[in-house]
Amino acid sequence: MRVPGRTDDHEWSQQHLSHYVEGDLRPRARRRLDRHARDCADCGRGIRAMRALVYAAHGLGGLAGVRAPDTIFDRIRSAGAG
Amino acid sequence: MRSPDGRRAPDLADTEAGLLARAQAGDVAAFERLSSAYADRLFMLLLRLLGDRAEAEDVAQEVMLRAWQGITRFRGQSSYFTWLYRIAVNEANRALEKRARRPAGVAIGADELQLPAPAYLDPSRQAESSELRRALGRALADLPPPLRTALVLRDIEGLSTQEAAEIAGVGEAAFKSRLHQARLRVRAAMGDEALASSGG
Repeated sequence: MRVPGRTDDHEWSQQHLSHYVEGDLRPRARRRLDRHARDCADCGRGIRAMRALVYAAHGLGGLAGVRAPDTIFDRIRSAGAG
Repeated sequence: MRSPDGRRAPDLADTEAGLLARAQAGDVAAFERLSSAYADRLFMLLLRLLGDRAEAEDVAQEVMLRAWQGITRFRGQSSYFTWLYRIAVNEANRALEKRARRPAGVAIGADELQLPAPAYLDPSRQAESSELRRALGRALADLPPPLRTALVLRDIEGLSTQEAAEIAGVGEAAFKSRLHQARLRVRAAMGDEALASSGG
């Protein structure tokens, strides 16, 4: 039987960084990623990057002064509203 | 009529339920009032999904027409907002499919996807934030539409997974899979250094 090594853990961790940040990993899987990231600079940076991405995306939310055009109901009006 | 705490009770006809009932009875003015409450947000969503202002305006009109034509079929199983957003996502997807069939498809405009930095940031942080937004906008523009929709609904719009999945028209598991794929691709496109230095 093959024992999972660093490469397995690393690739698996890289694929699950978003799940980790989202809180979508089961406790055992979360511990696996935590354990690996403690010794892996790449994955530690990956977690920070993924958190920053989600934070930056949230920052894009809101309307920032964007208004719907006044014409938005025009098609209904020209269709005779019926 | 006043409620026990002295405030004027809202006129039933002016509440969302009242406007909806009137719209379903054929009152177009009630439909417009009901939908106007979500119009800016809906237009912003279309801008983010389509990346083209003229196309977003066109699709927004189509969304309202479809909603008006289907209003009697709305049974209140979801909120009106969720229902309207679902129509918007469907229409945006239809527009993107049409665009893809055109011989020289118009590429999504990354500039439409990024927004001005919040005014409360100081100038140096605004510049940093603007650069990050531009990079995020470019990465979003390169995502396939289902992945872009997932990231826009969940991370940018901030909807719950359940609501976002319902709007996207997929189950929660499938939605999460799209979201995770989208984040991995955006992370790869932006690079860890740029993201980490954003200080998020």
